[in-house]
Amino acid sequence: MENLLEIKNLTVEYHTQGEIVHAVNGLSLNLRQGESLGLVGETGAGKTTTALSILQLVADPPGKIMGGEIFFDGVDLLKTKKSLLRSVRGNKISMIFQDPMTSLNPVYSVGFQIAEVIQLHENCSKEEARRKAEEMLEMVGIPKERYEEYPHQFSGGMKQRVVIAMSVACSPQIILADEPTTALDVTIQAQVLELMNDLKEKLHTSLLLITHDLGVVAQVCDRVAIMYSGEIVEQGTIPEVFDHPAHPYTIGLFGSIPTLSMESTKLTPIEGQMPDPTELPAGCNFSPRCPYARAECHSKKPGVTRIPGEATHELRCFALGWEQPDETLMEVIKRGR
Amino acid sequence: MNFMTTITTTTIVKRRKKKSQFVMVWERLKQNRLAVAGLVILSVIVLAAIFANLLFDYEAMAVRQNASIRLNPPSSEHWLGTDEVGRDILARIVFGARISLPVAFATILIAAVIGGLLGAIAGYGSRTADNIIMRIMDMFLAIPSTLLAIAIVATLGSSIRNLLIAIAVSNIPPFARIIRSSVITIRNEEFIEAAQAIGANDRRIIFKHILPNAMAPMIVQATMCIAGSVLSIASLSFLGLGIQPPTPEWGSMLSNGRQYIRVAWWVCTFPGIAIMLTILSLNLLGDGLRDALDPKLKN
Repeated sequence: MENLLEIKNLTVEYHTQGEIVHAVNGLSLNLRQGESLGLVGETGAGKTTTALSILQLVADPPGKIMGGEIFFDGVDLLKTKKSLLRSVRGNKISMIFQDPMTSLNPVYSVGFQIAEVIQLHENCSKEEARRKAEEMLEMVGIPKERYEEYPHQFSGGMKQRVVIAMSVACSPQIILADEPTTALDVTIQAQVLELMNDLKEKLHTSLLLITHDLGVVAQVCDRVAIMYSGEIVEQGTIPEVFDHPAHPYTIGLFGSIPTLSMESTKLTPIEGQMPDPTELPAGCNFSPRCPYARAECHSKKPGVTRIPGEATHELRCFALGWEQPDETLMEVIKRGR
Repeated sequence: MNFMTTITTTTIVKRRKKKSQFVMVWERLKQNRLAVAGLVILSVIVLAAIFANLLFDYEAMAVRQNASIRLNPPSSEHWLGTDEVGRDILARIVFGARISLPVAFATILIAAVIGGLLGAIAGYGSRTADNIIMRIMDMFLAIPSTLLAIAIVATLGSSIRNLLIAIAVSNIPPFARIIRSSVITIRNEEFIEAAQAIGANDRRIIFKHILPNAMAPMIVQATMCIAGSVLSIASLSFLGLGIQPPTPEWGSMLSNGRQYIRVAWWVCTFPGIAIMLTILSLNLLGDGLRDALDPKLKN
């Protein structure tokens, strides 16, 4: 399968009064046709910035894309004209935002907002756009009689359905979903995920799912990329990463998930905090928190290595690499899962 | 049970019936008694102004001087009395509306369009554009608006066109400020980011996504500005810089009548009431309109 979207060495910085926030540092990522990739990481890891950079929506000022290439359909999106970019946005690559409460315009009916996307990108009459928008509403499970209603008359889950309907209205090749279920409660979350899965199968779109919920990733994605302070620290297929997590951070992430089978009164967090993005450590970004850090970890940045014996499993680490982690650690992981 | 089903069917039927935006706004406006009262008063004034020729003979009643009936109190013949040169006050008020209302509406239209545009550019555009536009607006704001209008009319000469320019210019800065601040609030909303993400261009985002959301403060400002503009025309005429006599105008009528207030109160009271009623009705209507246009209050 060919790469539909290829991000190479993306670097994004936010320039605020005298400080430079290194949000994304040399990130490389591929997305293939029809594939869904989960981008996982804690708050502030640069997940949203990555997604926004793909559509060139990083607010400038303060955000600046300092370098890198984002190839989509053979074109570098970072170097294209604005008009071409606009024809890609919402049409070939669409985005689902985190909070459905605020991502719909309160003064227009939901139907109108779906029809707007269709009218912007497809040469069609108002009636045709309306008819299509009604179809879209039905597709996400909202009766088309509610076309004329306004966002405030919908619940959170319904609004997110509308947002999803908007994002698939022009049958895009890629959907960037930025924590689409974070603002929703668990039952609605399940419904929305199921809906996204269905639509993905039906329309054969690729999906970049940004989340910090590993459970959601396991449910929806084919591959997963773990992000830590602006870098991908580990990526691979779901079985590769979930069954053999190799990066200490990933291991810590799995370890911090409480299980149903074990009774525990306290969660097991990863010690420490994300490094200050204005002053990243000289060595590996995770080294200050890493229980396995060696001397070289603190002075040199690790490169990306492929783990032998596994097809796509990649890792950015000196310490563990493909060496078998010790037994107690494996225990933690097993308990964690 | 039967009862319940009837209710659900009627609501569904109701929902299916599509109403245009205008009809919906009108229906909600009707609910607001004060707004309807404002609309009625304003309509009476506007209709009187439109059909003034049918109601009164301009030459005979509003312009020609007749010393034999000067300063007559209200009577069955002259409902609101006559002024110091024997002209019918009601006729002059009605003809005066022909000046005040169109000039007032035209000024706010000009001020709202130019001010709104400048405000939107300042709020949405780059920091440099924002700084340049808003510092110029600040300069205008530093001068009291009446003084600014006086200065403009004094330089350009007094005519209706210059009066219009003067009042419009002095009303642009508050519009620009208000629109800019709401544009800044709205442009940081996620739905604007969403609009960018569906591929809308800047013009579309400003006009279709930001400005409709900034409508409420705009309408309030516009109604206050119409009212203020009626007052400005009146004050400029009062100072002798606006409409020149003998053309009837509310402000100049006030100005002329003020010296007779002890002996003939009606000469300046009735034009004053006319100004007050117009402003009041506009404010009531504007308030109601703002509520009626808010989709959150629909249904």
